[in-house]
Amino acid sequence: MNDQVSPSRIEAELLRSARFRKLREPGWRRLEVLVKQAETHGTAGLNYTEAKELAAQYRQAMTSLALARDISLDLALLNYLDQLCARAWLVVYVPQRSLSGAFGRLLRQGIPQAVRRSLLPLLIGFSAMLLGAITGFVLFFRDRSWFYTFVPGGLSDGRAPGASVGYLRDTLYGDASLHSSDVLTAFAAYLFSHNTNIAIFIFGLGIFWALPSFVLTFYNGLMLGAFFALFVQAGLGYDAFAWLSIHGVTEISAICIACAGGARLGLAGLMPGQMSRKDSLRLHGRDAVKLFLLAGLMLLVAGVVEGVLRQTVTSPELRLLIGWGLGGFWLLWLWRSGRTGGAKV
Amino acid sequence: MRFRRKSDKTAIPRNAASKRILENFIPPEGVPIGFELASLGARFGAVILDLILTWLFILLLILAVAWLGLLPKTALFALVAILAFFVGVPYYVVSELIWNGRTLGKRIVGIKVISADSRALGAHQVVARNLLKDIEFFAPLGMALQWNYTSTAQSWIAAAILLVWTLFVAIYPIRNKRKQRLGDVVAGTLVIVKPKAILLDDLALTEAQGGFSFDQAQLDIYGSYELQTLEAILRDPSKNPLHAAELAKVAKAIARRINYSEHAIGADPRPFLMAFYRDQRERLESRLLFGERRQDKFHGDAAKPK
Repeated sequence: MNDQVSPSRIEAELLRSARFRKLREPGWRRLEVLVKQAETHGTAGLNYTEAKELAAQYRQAMTSLALARDISLDLALLNYLDQLCARAWLVVYVPQRSLSGAFGRLLRQGIPQAVRRSLLPLLIGFSAMLLGAITGFVLFFRDRSWFYTFVPGGLSDGRAPGASVGYLRDTLYGDASLHSSDVLTAFAAYLFSHNTNIAIFIFGLGIFWALPSFVLTFYNGLMLGAFFALFVQAGLGYDAFAWLSIHGVTEISAICIACAGGARLGLAGLMPGQMSRKDSLRLHGRDAVKLFLLAGLMLLVAGVVEGVLRQTVTSPELRLLIGWGLGGFWLLWLWRSGRTGGAKV
Repeated sequence: MRFRRKSDKTAIPRNAASKRILENFIPPEGVPIGFELASLGARFGAVILDLILTWLFILLLILAVAWLGLLPKTALFALVAILAFFVGVPYYVVSELIWNGRTLGKRIVGIKVISADSRALGAHQVVARNLLKDIEFFAPLGMALQWNYTSTAQSWIAAAILLVWTLFVAIYPIRNKRKQRLGDVVAGTLVIVKPKAILLDDLALTEAQGGFSFDQAQLDIYGSYELQTLEAILRDPSKNPLHAAELAKVAKAIARRINYSEHAIGADPRPFLMAFYRDQRERLESRLLFGERRQDKFHGDAAKPK
């Protein structure tokens, strides 16, 4: 639009802000090119001089923006610089964070430390499960019909009050049909995804003042207690305990830990202390997420154990050993790992 | 870097175009930059796109596997369950980690997650915001879809709880100043529109035609708000004939307001408006250099209309 105007006249007539723009525009254009390059190939794709140039041009553009706000009323210019600086800022200050080593760090320090910082939420999580289990167990012996209230029909699979002892024993040791390895793997993966969905649910609902997490975990405990009571009544208490232990020590603990993560969030919102609720949520969210990741990891292990080992290992003693051995391993890891030198008293 | 409340007005001059600007986002250079927050509509659209894309992927994969007969039927159901799990939270976490805060849907819509503390987006932030996405979006959606619509008392209570829950998570981001949903608050993240820098021509560079001139009193009436509104009108790309009529109307209104002879404008209002824009900008910018920012026509030195 300005090729019809002779350049010399423009120079003379130019507004101060237009001159300012004309003088610096090549630098901004260069920055645009560099930013585009960094956006498509990452900052690692820039060579040394380009990276240096990017930093320099970014600072100049920032200065231009500050200046332009003070001397120019050209909206096109102000918007352009604003957006250009925002884009460049994203490239310069918000690069892709490297994930190498993050997983190892999480296992060595992040998770164990987060667990040791969350004793109260963990207490809430485990006591919710325990209270539920005790309640379910006791209520079942008072009146068997509670079983139908606690355990949804789809889950019980014929294991209900009145089922024969033989049938119940079969559910603990039988099912040779499931022994092909393909099916076992699929079963394990299915169990993992199903349980993890439940854990996500329990964890996330914790944000509503921890109450739903507690209720859901308590309900899971009720089911567990009623189930166990059913087998105890049939005289299969020891076998059922072994059957539950091999995967349950890990799986049920994982659910409790997911509940603890939710409780951590809920408590942060409920009792923020001196902080604002938002800040408190953000601060405690870090540990809560780590608790959840631990729950996810444990559910993965539990899925494998439940899907594969439970079907192939049939001796109750061995089941107990594997289950509680695994539990001991978790405990040892969470208790000992990631302690820094000064922690010893 | 920090956010402050609206108290200091000097940070970003408000202009006609800024609507959903993130207030006072200050980089280490100390110059506030104005990110545009993504609208909830755009974010919703991105999620829907993600849902469509991921389920399309599952559908095609299952069809391919079933057609090739790679797996027995029982394993196929397990596969669906597993895939359904992986396109939930894991997909969003992994894609936001790989593409630095953008899922496929967000890429298409052109929005991006950034950390509110202006640092690089951390893995735990991505996990946190997407874990809660399940509670805020997928779980209520799934429940509403699979709801057993019978009217027992129990189901009514459950429905009431679901309704309150859904309303709470839906209203929260609407009420939130920075449009953060619960997951964003826990993670400390914001969703912004990916900035696009386009430099439009400088209107003040066009040559003045027709020899319009304005005296100081005429240029002391309007402020920068009016100037920038005029700039927006002059840039309006619409080619319709109505636009020309609008321009004529604007030119007339300005002429009346500044006591300029309406007949002098001529048949085409554009040269007049361009000349006025240039002179008005020069005047206001020179006042700006002396530290006087005239926001709009209600500034202190404005002559009162007769």
